[in-house]
Amino acid sequence: MEIIKALGIDNYWVLIAQFVNLAVLLFVLYKFAYGPMMKMLDERSAKIAEGIKDAEKANKKLEETESREKDVLNKAKKEAKKIIAAAEEIAEKNKAEILENSKMEADEIFRKAEEKIEEEKNKLREELKKETIELVMMATEKVLKEKIDSDKDKEIIEKVVKN
Amino acid sequence: MELNISLAPEILFKIGSFPVSNSFFWMVVVSISLMILILTIRYKFKQVPGRTQAAFEILIEGGLDFVQSIIEDKDIAKKVFPLVFTLFLFIMLANLITFIPGSAVVLESGEGKVSLFRAVMSDYGIVIVMTLVAVITAQIVAIISFGPFGYLGKYFNFSGMKEFFSELFRGKLKFGLLAQGFLDIFLGLMDIVGEIAKIVSLSFRLFGNIFAGEVLGMVMLFLMPWFLPLPFQFLSLLTAVVQAFVFAVLTLMFISLALKIDDEDLNEKATV
Repeated sequence: MEIIKALGIDNYWVLIAQFVNLAVLLFVLYKFAYGPMMKMLDERSAKIAEGIKDAEKANKKLEETESREKDVLNKAKKEAKKIIAAAEEIAEKNKAEILENSKMEADEIFRKAEEKIEEEKNKLREELKKETIELVMMATEKVLKEKIDSDKDKEIIEKVVKN
Repeated sequence: MELNISLAPEILFKIGSFPVSNSFFWMVVVSISLMILILTIRYKFKQVPGRTQAAFEILIEGGLDFVQSIIEDKDIAKKVFPLVFTLFLFIMLANLITFIPGSAVVLESGEGKVSLFRAVMSDYGIVIVMTLVAVITAQIVAIISFGPFGYLGKYFNFSGMKEFFSELFRGKLKFGLLAQGFLDIFLGLMDIVGEIAKIVSLSFRLFGNIFAGEVLGMVMLFLMPWFLPLPFQFLSLLTAVVQAFVFAVLTLMFISLALKIDDEDLNEKATV
């Protein structure tokens, strides 16, 4: 055929060579370029999707923890208020008790002191009595210049003093 | 300077008995540079892209999206994409490489003066090989998706005839069904013609455009080397890109058509 020769496709070895060339080009690019490239792109888009998912999760978690934190804070505040109130109550009670106790103690001390004073007073009085008696005895002895019987003397003096 | 227009590529030298023509030589050069270019980009691929990588990724993702918009199935699109995309890149690079200045370089060979440069796509052999690859791929896809009998049934469609005869055995003579049967057979045979026409139109579109661009450029250069060839150069620059795109898209179309012919489609054709 004239046209086949004119177009230069009469040598089938050339056509086969051209086909082989094209096939090698397609194979190399498919095997070593597009395949890995598309895989990589897919992997990356999967990674990005995962990243977005993770970010959403993290956001959710953050919100949750924030609300939980608020709850905890509120609870803690309430508890603290309760504790303070209880402490105040206890302190009030303690104050009253301590006041009462101290009052009682003071009373006791006061009473004891009075008792002691009374006792001392009595002791002093007794001593004074004794001394007076001795003094009177001495005086009377001196006055009488004469000592009768010591027992009789004492008797007499006691009589005098009593009267 | 003399005009040297030849429909067939000129032989530069021979390796043994194998003639290396100028277009074959450039086809190999273009193939190797394309491989080097793309593999270089690919092995510099990182998770976080640089500028070149980002540009190439946009090209790949855009292409893949385009293929997916025509072939709905994602997995099939991923398998078809490399063929279509490689055809596009190869044709475009082969066309654009002719714009490197120096296309008037002439070599002395045994058969007189032979120009060293020739647009790769102005060699009909290369174009017909690519076209056959595209069309045969589409046929294989069709055979896979419809089964060998479904595939043959598309071209040798006796379903209308069968209906007529089954009615005839029941004692009813329906000439409408007979006419339908003949029409089915005729349309099926026309589909075969259509397939052949596909090969012719696809190959000659690319070859014709590029060859005409070359000849036009040469003639303009011959007529007046200053400024006059410029608008035609721009025109063939446009053709270079557009024809690459058209060839790739038509290949894609053939494959998607091969995927889509279903019974409904056949019935539609049968009832036309």
